[in-house]
Formats: sequence, structure tokens, C-alpha cells
Amino acid sequence: MTAALPRADVAPVASAKRRRRAPGWLAVLPLLVFTAIAFGLPAVAIVDGAFTVKDATTGAAGYTGANLTASLQGPYLTALLGSVKLSAVSAVLGVLLGLPLAQAVAGSRSRALREAVLTASGVLANFGGVPLAFAFVATLGNAGVLTMHLGLKDSGWNLYSFWGLVLVYLYFLIPLMVLTITPALDGLRTQWREAALNNGATGAQYWRHVALPVLAPSLLGGLVLLFGSAFAAYATAAAMVGSAVPLVTLQIADALSGNVLVGQENVALALSLDMVLVAGLVMAVYLPLQRRSARWLDA
Amino acid sequence: MTHMTVTTLEKATQEKAATVEFRSLRREFGTTVALDGLDLTVRPGEFLALLGPSGCGKTTALRMLAGFEHPDSGAVLVDGEDVTHVPAHRRDAGMVFQSYSLFPHLNALDNVAFGLRMRKVRTAERRARAAELLELVGLGDKGERYPHQLSGGQQQRIALARALALRPRVLLLDEPLSALDAKVRLSLREEIRRLQQELGITTLFVTHDQEEALSVADRVAVMRAGRLEQCAEPAELYGRPATAFVAEFVGTMSRIPGELKDGTVEVLGQRLPADGEVPDGPVDVLVRPEAVHVHADERGDARVVATAFLGAVVRVTVRLADGTEAKADLPAHQAAGLGAGAAVGVSLPERPVLVAERIQK
Amino acid sequence: MARRLTLWRWVVLGLAALYFLVPLAASVIFTVDVPGHGVTFDAYSRILSTEGFVSSLLLSLELAVATIAVVLLLMVPAVVALRLGAPRLRPVVEVVCSLPLVVPPIAFVAGIVNVLKWGPEHLSRTPLFQTFTAIQDEDFPVVLVLAYVVMALPFVYRALDAGLRAVDVRTLVEAARSCGAGWPQALLRAVLPNLRGALMNAAFLTLALVLGEFTVAQLLGFRPFAVWIYNIGGSQAQMSVAVSVLSLLVTWALLLALAGAGGGRARTASSRG
Repeated sequence: MTAALPRADVAPVASAKRRRRAPGWLAVLPLLVFTAIAFGLPAVAIVDGAFTVKDATTGAAGYTGANLTASLQGPYLTALLGSVKLSAVSAVLGVLLGLPLAQAVAGSRSRALREAVLTASGVLANFGGVPLAFAFVATLGNAGVLTMHLGLKDSGWNLYSFWGLVLVYLYFLIPLMVLTITPALDGLRTQWREAALNNGATGAQYWRHVALPVLAPSLLGGLVLLFGSAFAAYATAAAMVGSAVPLVTLQIADALSGNVLVGQENVALALSLDMVLVAGLVMAVYLPLQRRSARWLDA
Repeated sequence: MTHMTVTTLEKATQEKAATVEFRSLRREFGTTVALDGLDLTVRPGEFLALLGPSGCGKTTALRMLAGFEHPDSGAVLVDGEDVTHVPAHRRDAGMVFQSYSLFPHLNALDNVAFGLRMRKVRTAERRARAAELLELVGLGDKGERYPHQLSGGQQQRIALARALALRPRVLLLDEPLSALDAKVRLSLREEIRRLQQELGITTLFVTHDQEEALSVADRVAVMRAGRLEQCAEPAELYGRPATAFVAEFVGTMSRIPGELKDGTVEVLGQRLPADGEVPDGPVDVLVRPEAVHVHADERGDARVVATAFLGAVVRVTVRLADGTEAKADLPAHQAAGLGAGAAVGVSLPERPVLVAERIQK
Repeated sequence: MARRLTLWRWVVLGLAALYFLVPLAASVIFTVDVPGHGVTFDAYSRILSTEGFVSSLLLSLELAVATIAVVLLLMVPAVVALRLGAPRLRPVVEVVCSLPLVVPPIAFVAGIVNVLKWGPEHLSRTPLFQTFTAIQDEDFPVVLVLAYVVMALPFVYRALDAGLRAVDVRTLVEAARSCGAGWPQALLRAVLPNLRGALMNAAFLTLALVLGEFTVAQLLGFRPFAVWIYNIGGSQAQMSVAVSVLSLLVTWALLLALAGAGGGRARTASSRG
């Protein structure tokens, strides 16, 4: 929508002074050229590689769908489904836990609390990767502080498992949710709450019939964003579980570094293509939701 | 069709047109006193405007009636029944907010039907009733539109329909016109007045715009610093303001220095009977622009400072000999020769004038 | 009712604080309370002298500086141009800057590995081969800068776009031009100072991204900071956790410093103008 406004009032100016358009193109051109090379080449390489097989003896390359088929079978399929399951569970939990936290902050009158939580969320949402994994290993790993002091090991606790990963992923997913949903919560107008009460709704009815439906696009948007973020995560899992939990990112890394079988690079590219398709689907769901939520909440 | 709808609605509401009483309401927010002992009674079926500058407590009073604010002390009564502790969703008072109060995810029809849905009214029945109300505010064809597809004026009409959906005993209007542009404001306020009269519903209308208040209300309550200054019919409020504050807040008022002695005041070389409880001595005489006579006079010691064309009249600002400025409304033809700098004489009609304590400038 | 709400809020905040602080506290305890050694700050005091710490951190910082410079040089003119002369290009730029979100880093690096293989396979007898070798230089892997710039595009675009939304660039430029400034002057003196906050924001996000980036660097076989932490994790558990905690604290400190600097600059800017 913001794009439409300037376009409308600029159009006559632009046609009157056609000369001005050239610098506009020129300023954007370096960006386009750069992405065409630095992003375009690898992207083409993914697609090209995903459909290529090399004959091990002759070295001759040919196009085929075999890699993609292979990437959807056996351990690869298990890993892909494992990633989807882990991401889905983490994302749902992230939304369910992030929403009340965001509401506790957004509904508070304390500016200091708000700033503190949002700043902390900004840091923690970026605190993925290796350091996060090690912090949890030190806390809840086999020799971790809590594991030792609370005797968790006897009760069957194992950090290097599906639920262990979920617990760790939530550490950056909840802050990400807080960052995503707080603007939407701020966009809920007090008049809506008062108008609902004025029309005989109780507090619970207000949440059920007004607040949650209005937030729905943002909540769904947050859900797919969290899903995408968990789905793409590699470093945390690599540093924590090795390959104890089957994940597609770990499979790609293994295949790339030739850990499992030599000559699996092209299957790795096919798996990458699978991931891109899933991530693309996520974005395709996310963007329209984002737009709708903006229309409701920014007006 | 429309008219029939109105009459059925009218019956439904008129029977229970309610009295509203505010009894010594007090409310403090931190160090600021929003309401400082407000006493006010609204008669059944009356359209009462709460008028005052921002921060005078008028909105707080309205929100107490709606149940969104709670008094530190005092009580709110509807038909003699104390509702001070009744929660907002059981208040039976429909409210129209300043702006943006329509639910963005519901279309116009569902917005109006929202309260009925909360009351578990059957879908068919509530849709029929909502359609009736949309018809009533002249938007029968816009039921399927969403708020962002409607203009500001249309949104406020729908908010009005929504406020009336539960057949409330009282209608509360919290500056419903302030976000609209001038033309829409004018037509919508007339329509609100027409509807209110047809429905006969007791209505409280909060506004900071004195013209708006005077033009639609049966009575206007002027508030200042959490207290009631005067509650009277528009004509009385304008013609016989009870206090200097009311006089200056309602309409335009000029202050001309005078000398009070034994109930008469010496002003502009005239001696006039004085209203107002002020001790003898230096005072200000409060005069409306239409009560100030200005005529071209070569030897006059007042000068025209500025003129503004207002249509039928021209508002002339003159600077008196002692430096005070006064405003006068002259018929356009009389003001023809009075440009800035012209020497003029100023006089008042031989009528009692309102006096107030002198304000040092 | 108000009291119940407050109670609910404190319970939520308390639980969140517990979840987010316990791993940090436990990590600190883990590093100083070594079984069999009692309380010791060895893990921290040895960091500086450990092989690879300084070099890997320096490499990461150099990569970060280069990435920030490149990404801002590419993006600032583009987003300003979108506001001024070429709004029609907005959808193009928007799509270009969102594409990296669709390709997860692991898939991206798989593509890069494949591209880099083209060098020896197809281009070994052309001058382009030298380029391929040069960008993979161990001391300063340009290929990582290229990858990080791509990965930073979405964040930088959002930060700059949000900053520009708050500023009426067109009016600013027109005002500056009507005061006699040329185009370059108008951009440098009128637009950029108003974008300071957005630029800082974009720079910080990029810095955080590069310092923490592990996937691309590891799979391409380079050893910046995150990869170094990962590598010592196997042999020196205490120290790897100590560095992890420190890296979080450093990120936090940077963010606060940036917020402070941004505020301070904004004040001087307004007092000047």
C-alpha cells in the first residue's frame, strides 16, 4: 500500500521529467547485478545440480529426476519429515508461549519493562547457533549443571533428543515471536475492547470474538516465520546432536562434506531444492497474511 | 419502509427513556484531578451536551457512565438505580467512540450485530435487526462492506447503529464527529439529532466544540477543571452566561476595562447597569461582538486593527485607547469603509452588561 | 480485577525470566565451577592465549566490516532512489531482497559449493579461474563476504525502509535543493544524517549476523569465530561455553552502546539544526 501512494503522485512528474528516471535505474543497478551473481549463480547451481547425475566411471553428466526421487526416499525422507515435525512443534509452542509474554509486555504501562524485554528479544532472537547450543549443553547436557544438581539423568532426561532440540529452539523462537507479535498487539485499539464491552461482551468474549480474530493473520504469520526459522536452523543442531535426530540440514551437511557416501553432492542439492520449495511455500503463505494484518492494524 | 422501522424502534426505546444522575463524582489520576465533585442530572429523553476544554473531565464523566472508569467517590445512577459498580458489559448504555472503533475483521452488518451475537440472539434474527439499523442510519446498501472500505462518516454512522443495536437506555457520544471533515460533521450531527429525537433516547454528547454543542443539544453542561460551571439551554447559556468562564468559552467575548460602582459600571464613556457578583473597583466588561457598535469617527480614539469577512457580517477588531482589543460584528455594508488603521468610535447598547474581575494582561 | 491482571503478568514474566536466565546462569556456573578443581576462572583467563581465538575473531570482524560496507553501498542508493525517482522499481527490489529468505543458508552454501566446483572443472584454462582461487583465499575469503551480503539483504532492506518511511525524503531533497544544494550535497547533507538511526540499525544487524554465522563458513572450510568456538567445543568444554557466554554479553553490550550512540547523535543533530 505504501508502494501505491508514491507511485500515484509521482507518475505525472516522472513522465514530465523523463530525464530523471535514468539515475533511479542506475542507483538500483549495482544491487541487481550483485544479487544476480552472488545469489543467482548459487541458485542456478542448486537447480542445475539437483537435476544432474554424473556417471562415476565416464564422468559424463546427464539430466535426470533421480536425485529428487532419492531425496524423497529412505533416510532422506525421514530427515525431511523430521525437520518438518521439529519445526512445526517448535513453531506452535513458540507462538503459544510467545503470545502471552508479548501481551504481558504490550499491556504493561511500564516503558522500561517494555524496552528491556524488546531489546533482550532482539539479542536472543539472533542468539542462535553454536553459542546457544553450548549454553544448553552446559545447563542440561549430560554433564550440565542442572542435570547434575537435580539428578535429571536418572529420570531419563536426554538433551540430545527431539524434545531437547525443541527446548533449545524455543530459546530463539519465543523472542522472535515476541518481536513479531508486539507491533500487532500494540495495534489493538483500546476502543475495540471498550466497544466490545459496551456491546455486552465479557473480557473472554472480547478475546474470542475480537482480539484473536484481528490478531489471526499476525499469529499465523508469526507461526510460518517461526517454522521457517526453525526449519533452516543448522548450527544449533549440528553443535548439539550431531546426527542423533534426523534433520534435513544435517543430511545436507553430511552429504556435502562426503561424510556418508562419496558422490552424494547432487542428492544434497536435491535436498536443498526440497528445502527451498518448503521455505518458498512458507513465504507464499506469510506475505499475504502480513499484508492483511497491516491493513487491519495500521489504518 | 425506513419510517416504519423508526416508529417500531421508537416505541421500544421511548417507554424506558431513562434519567441519568451523576452524584458528587470524584476521580484523580495521580496528581491530576479529573473530576472534582460533579453533580448533574440528565432528564429522560434529553439530548445533553457536555462541553469544555480538553482535560475538564467531560470524557471521564461519560466513561464512568459507560463503566470504563470508576469514581474514587460518588455515584452514577440510571433511573434512580445505582450502577456505579455494574461492570461495563452490563451497563445498558450504547456508546459511539471518537473514531476507529469498528471491528476491522467484521463487515458493517456483523459489526452492528456484534452485541446481539454476544447475547446469543439467533443468526437470522440478529441479521434482520442489524439490517434494520443500517437502514436507519442510511447505509442499508453497505452491509457487506468492511470498515477499511468505508469513509470516516460512514464508519461513524455504523458505529451509531451498533450503539443502538441492544436498545440501550442511554446513548453516549464521545466526540464522534471530531475526526471528520467539516461538511460531513455538519450533516452527521444533524442526523444524530434527528435520530435522537425520533427515538427519544436519553443522550449524552461530549464535545469541545461549542458551536456543535449549542446547535444540537437540548441543554449544554459546561465543565471546567472537573466541575460543572453551568447547565442550561443553549440560548440562556449564550445570552446569560453564569460565569466569566462560560461567557468566554461559549461564543466570542471581548473584555473591555471599566469601573464598577454601586451596581453600575463606567465603560467607554457610558454608565450601564452591571450583572455579576464582583466587588466595586476596576472590572472587565464582557461583551459579545454583535453587541459592540463601531462607527467611523474622525475624532475617535480607537483604531481598526483587522477585519475578517464572515459572510453576512464582517468581524472588525479594534484597538481601544488603552490598548485593549475588542471584536465587533458589523453588517457587511456598514463595514465597507473601515480598513485597517481607520479611526473609529466604539459604544455599547443601553442594556445591563456582564462584569468580571479585571484580568491583568 | 486489576490485581488479578497484574498477578497474571508477573507470573508470565517470572516464568520467562526463569527460562531465559537459567541457561545463562548455569553456563557461568559451568565455566567457573569445574568438578575436581573447585571454583576457578581458568576458562576465562586462558581464552586470549588459546590458539586461534584472536585470529578467528579478527577474521570475523574483518568480514563484518567488509560486509557492512558492501551491503550499505549497494542498498542505500537503491532505497533512496526508490523514494525519489524510481518507485516503479520498488517491487523488484522488494522481491530481490526477500529471495534470500526463501533459500536457507544450508541450501545456499550447497549452491555455492557447486558453483565453486565449476572453477576447476570448466574454467581451469581461463583467467576466471584465478578469480575463483582469489575469492577463496584463507586469509580473507571474499566468497564469505559475498554470501553474507546476500544473507543480510532482507534485514538491511527492512531497517532502511523503516527508517526512510519516517523521513519524507522527497521534501528533504527538494528543500535542500531550493536552498541551493546540488544533488550530491542534498543527499549527503540532508538525507543521510536523517537516516543515521536506520544505518546504525542495519549495521548492527549485519554485524550480529556475521559474528554468529556458522553454516556457510564451516561448510566452505573457513575458520571465523563461530567455527572456532565449535572446534574447541570438542576438546575444551569449559572454555567453549565461556566464549559462548562472552559472545552473548558482547552482542548485548554492542546493542546498548549503539542505542546510546544513536540517541546521543540524534541529540547533537537536533541541537545543531
